[in-house]
Amino acid sequence: MATTVVAALPQEYSGGTLAREQVSLWRDGVRRLRRNKLALAAVIYLAILVVMSIVAFVWTPYKPNAIGACETYTTPSGAHPFGCDELGRDSLSRLMVGAQLSLAVGLGTALIVLFVGVTVGLVAGYFRGPVDSAISLVINIFYGIPTLLVALVLYTLLGPGLVNIMIAISATIWMDMARLVRGQTLSIREREFVEAARASGARSGKILFGHIFPNALGPIIVQATFVIPVAILTAAFLSFLGLGVAPPQADWGGMAAEGLQAIRYVPHIVLAPSIAISLTLLAFNFFGDGLRDAFDPRQKR
Amino acid sequence: MLTRGTVVYIGQRVLLIGFTVLVVSFGVFYAVHSLPGNAFITERVHGQALQALLHQHGLDRPIVVQYWDFLRSAIHGDLGQSFVIQGEAITPLVIRELSVSMELGGAALLITVGLGMLFGVLAAIRQNTWVDYTLTTFAVIGYSVPSFVLASLFVLIFGLWLHDVTGGAFFYPLVWTGTYGTLAELSIPALALGLYTSGQVTRITRAAMLDVVQQDYIRTARAKGLKPVTVTLRHALRNAMVPVTSILGPLVVSIIAGSVVIETIFGIPGLGKEFARSITSHDYNVTVGVFTIFAALIGVANLGVDLLYTVIDPRIRY
Amino acid sequence: MRPSLIKIGGLFVGVVGIVAAAACGSTSPSSSSNSLAASQVMRFPVIQDPKTWDPALMDAEVDTEQMQNVFDTLWRFDDHLNVIPDLATVVPTQANGGISADGKTFTIHLKQNVKFNNGDPMTSADVVYSWNRGASYHGAYASNLSAIQGFSDVFKAGKAYCKTGEGSANTTACYTGIEQKLAAKDPSFTMSGVTAPDPNTVQIVLANGCGWCITAWSLQGSTGAVVDQKVTGADPVNWWSKPGGAGVTDGQVGTGAYYLSSYIPKQSIKYKVVPNWWGSPKPTLTEVDLDIKDPSTQSTYIAAWEQGSYDLVGYGGDSSLPNADILRIKGTSSESSQLLLQPKGRTTWVSFNIGYPSTGGPFLGEGAAAKGLRTAFALAVDKNGLASTVCHNLVCAPATGGLITKGLIGYLGDGTDPLAKFDPTQAKALLKQYDPSGSLTSNLKYAYNAGGLNDPVATYLQGQWSTNLGIQVSLDPHPDASAFISDRLGGKFVMSRDGWQFDYNHPQDWFDNLWGGLVVGANTSGFADPTGDPTSNAVYDPLVAKADAEPLSQALPLYNQLSQLLQTDVAYIPLYYSVGEFLIHPYVKGAGSNTQADFYWDEISIASH
Repeated sequence: MATTVVAALPQEYSGGTLAREQVSLWRDGVRRLRRNKLALAAVIYLAILVVMSIVAFVWTPYKPNAIGACETYTTPSGAHPFGCDELGRDSLSRLMVGAQLSLAVGLGTALIVLFVGVTVGLVAGYFRGPVDSAISLVINIFYGIPTLLVALVLYTLLGPGLVNIMIAISATIWMDMARLVRGQTLSIREREFVEAARASGARSGKILFGHIFPNALGPIIVQATFVIPVAILTAAFLSFLGLGVAPPQADWGGMAAEGLQAIRYVPHIVLAPSIAISLTLLAFNFFGDGLRDAFDPRQKR
Repeated sequence: MLTRGTVVYIGQRVLLIGFTVLVVSFGVFYAVHSLPGNAFITERVHGQALQALLHQHGLDRPIVVQYWDFLRSAIHGDLGQSFVIQGEAITPLVIRELSVSMELGGAALLITVGLGMLFGVLAAIRQNTWVDYTLTTFAVIGYSVPSFVLASLFVLIFGLWLHDVTGGAFFYPLVWTGTYGTLAELSIPALALGLYTSGQVTRITRAAMLDVVQQDYIRTARAKGLKPVTVTLRHALRNAMVPVTSILGPLVVSIIAGSVVIETIFGIPGLGKEFARSITSHDYNVTVGVFTIFAALIGVANLGVDLLYTVIDPRIRY
Repeated sequence: MRPSLIKIGGLFVGVVGIVAAAACGSTSPSSSSNSLAASQVMRFPVIQDPKTWDPALMDAEVDTEQMQNVFDTLWRFDDHLNVIPDLATVVPTQANGGISADGKTFTIHLKQNVKFNNGDPMTSADVVYSWNRGASYHGAYASNLSAIQGFSDVFKAGKAYCKTGEGSANTTACYTGIEQKLAAKDPSFTMSGVTAPDPNTVQIVLANGCGWCITAWSLQGSTGAVVDQKVTGADPVNWWSKPGGAGVTDGQVGTGAYYLSSYIPKQSIKYKVVPNWWGSPKPTLTEVDLDIKDPSTQSTYIAAWEQGSYDLVGYGGDSSLPNADILRIKGTSSESSQLLLQPKGRTTWVSFNIGYPSTGGPFLGEGAAAKGLRTAFALAVDKNGLASTVCHNLVCAPATGGLITKGLIGYLGDGTDPLAKFDPTQAKALLKQYDPSGSLTSNLKYAYNAGGLNDPVATYLQGQWSTNLGIQVSLDPHPDASAFISDRLGGKFVMSRDGWQFDYNHPQDWFDNLWGGLVVGANTSGFADPTGDPTSNAVYDPLVAKADAEPLSQALPLYNQLSQLLQTDVAYIPLYYSVGEFLIHPYVKGAGSNTQADFYWDEISIASH
């Protein structure tokens, strides 16, 4: 017979025991995360990826842009474990350099979304009233615009470049974060400790970032983790449509797009970066899932 | 039921959609007119001849004036003429392509929801068995593989490999016939488009069903002696619909965005493929038209989803 | 009982099976007999919609390749690029009296019994009308008529009318107005040099000698093509996009063997054969169906061709197919014989910014340093390596004989271009001499329009300059071709990809359009004379004008001098000559390309298969 789930602690009881509760939530969360095998595997994969991209700054098996390092369209073999592309450049080296770019795009976009979404959400949720209405209207308008299309138009306006790509992608996904933080703020602001802080004369900024923000941190981190794979995927889309970083910079999406033409002739050119993208996306998704399960106080375990 | 509150709500939402469409149309109009280049310059047509052409098409007027002109005729349903195909009226073209995209998108949505919920139900029923693990992993893989890769793999597998293996007897035809294609030609692109989002539906359905299966009223129904199948399908599924409906809006947005790539790869004459080309070919009114149609579609889809809530869960009221 | 997994699984498999069965294709036994197939319908993909099909305005290759089968000119090119009669009875020469002794008067006799596809007979009045119309509409190829007496007045009148005059409101006003003027035989829209002494004769008087005129007038689907005034006057803006055929008064009406029967924008184009067509060879194909595809789906529709959904690929200007597919097909024994590699009259090179001081760069002007640096960059590129690495020596060949493509008149001969040499030692020496500190050649950009071979070529060039000169040139791809062309024509580049595809087989087509300061010149690199003025060139311009006026035999040495002028001035880095790829099934007889255009549809037949 299945047991019912443990109900969340009612908000009235969250007063003075805040500090202790927070610590135990974190420790509890980490423990639960460690037991989630998929999430663990994801973390290991991501760690390897990060190490590989850092190493790529100083060393790669061949220079990633060296044309003619091998015959064009070489299939995977000993000297070139991932083969070579249509200009005779070593695929493994380019994959390593591409990892740098993908991770940068993912993390950079997540940071931008974090900054913009959290600020907007906090302001909307805390001040309510006309400020909230206006912000919510803007959010709804952005929701009404097809995401890829915004990214396309912005990209065409801003031009190629890593930061521009991050900006273009952020413009399409910041709303989820803003809405999440707004919802969190709306509920947290009613808690007694916030009342207390207000009564004692603390300024709004201190309340927002000193009290409300730390309490919403869990879901915010989870949301930010999910932004990364979306950003990497959107960047790959833009590359596929020909709007990625300028060559000869190796980037997974661009490599996949170039390799698509040759998919029947030498499938490895498109398969290698596609698998890399997919594994990375999977890893971030599993990791995010694990984080969310770990921080959810309603979980059975 | 259609209460006064619901009517007011619908009215408010329609206003919001209209406002969004207006803002979007001006934003896009301004953006594409600011892009360098135009639809007329070639290696042989430049300088004076180019200026004459631009003047004839009214492209040397201030942007606000051009937008006002565009808006006035757009309200009457006339989106103007294409710059790329001389003299071709945009509105009938866009409407035709919209219907093709809706055909594709509708099929993809069916696959997303149908397949997604099917897998979610199966995974929930056989929780923690190999069935569950396989289906869940399959779902996550679904939205981790870039759809252009998935689409190309489908072309390879169903179009070519299947053709070779069966000696040409069965295969997915790689050429889209006519405007709406045949059922067979629609199947694979719809699958490529819908598979990506069906993974999310699977996971949500599974989670919702697991959640619901444990609730008291299910146990009550079982205690009353109803067969497990009936219990599952009638009660649990009905309640699992709410969270699925909640992501229906973003699903539609995903499908619209994905259609840009899928239509291009499969050569389907729809709105997504149109959009991809119109930006770099500087067919301004087409871009603005497509963009605003998409925005309106999304707004209407979100409104429809919100209204769907009231049907699924009578407790929800506006 | 839980719903059986097996049942559900079986249902799923069943659905897939039904879908696959619905996609059933036909297995065709191949019988290689010479008899004709029952269905004489040819099907192939094209890469874009028509920009326009009006001969007075057409300039896109995909459009002219189709319209050459719908509209005729007085002469045309045969399968070997020779000029042969089309609507005229002979190619006029001084020997047969077609050209006067001073070379300025052409007397042309028209074939009898020529009919438009709606049944209207064609006479010399239609030719006069069409040529005046071509000049008045001031389109991309109006300049083909530029040597005719009265041309520049008509050209200017048409431009003025549409830019600042009564027709400036929009295109409808412009075209409708011009048609009215032409119908009224308004003198400012009539070239004095084109007259019709009788219904079967046309006389053309030139303002000066013109060695390239007959060749230019033979360009298919352009300003020399003959249209039906009744039709164009009825709907000046949209006549060309509507179906033609018997009795049509406002559709696509020409004298060719085929006419438009349906056009669904962004989707498909269909042509039908004109019953009892007046010309020859008599057509066998009854219908030609085109699917409008996106260039990014080339691999998919090549696969469709392999499956038999298309009869050929490469027609309609779509002869730049992906390398990987070409290599794969070449390596497949059953298919390699169906691949046709035909040189395209197109050369690609790198232009320097020589004459636009506002943009700057180390290559400006005619000083020793600028020339030396240009030479250094030119010698540092291994052209043979480029052809083998990027093109696999299949889809392009190194440009070693000057800028005019091999096989065309004006080609200087294999290995004669000093700029085509690969000499990294010399290149490095020149670099050291003229830029010892490296400050002049830092921050260089190579601009190009993204797509096709341009991307790997750019990457290859970057690698060459990096390896052989030690200079990092950054790449500046433009995903938008029109923005790229606009920048290049405005001189906003330091190094840019450049190229030209020939329109007709005469060096004038190159030298009048690419350098110097003539009215129609694009002067893409600002190649300038010693005074540094990019709008005129005291050495180049007079030489071109002289060569244009002479008959070819006398003009050719002058054109060769011009080629050498460009070489001694190091105006470019030669890269490659293009090769077009065609995929043609063996049962399609008579298809191919003459380097400039596809073979006509009335030469093609489908054998039974």
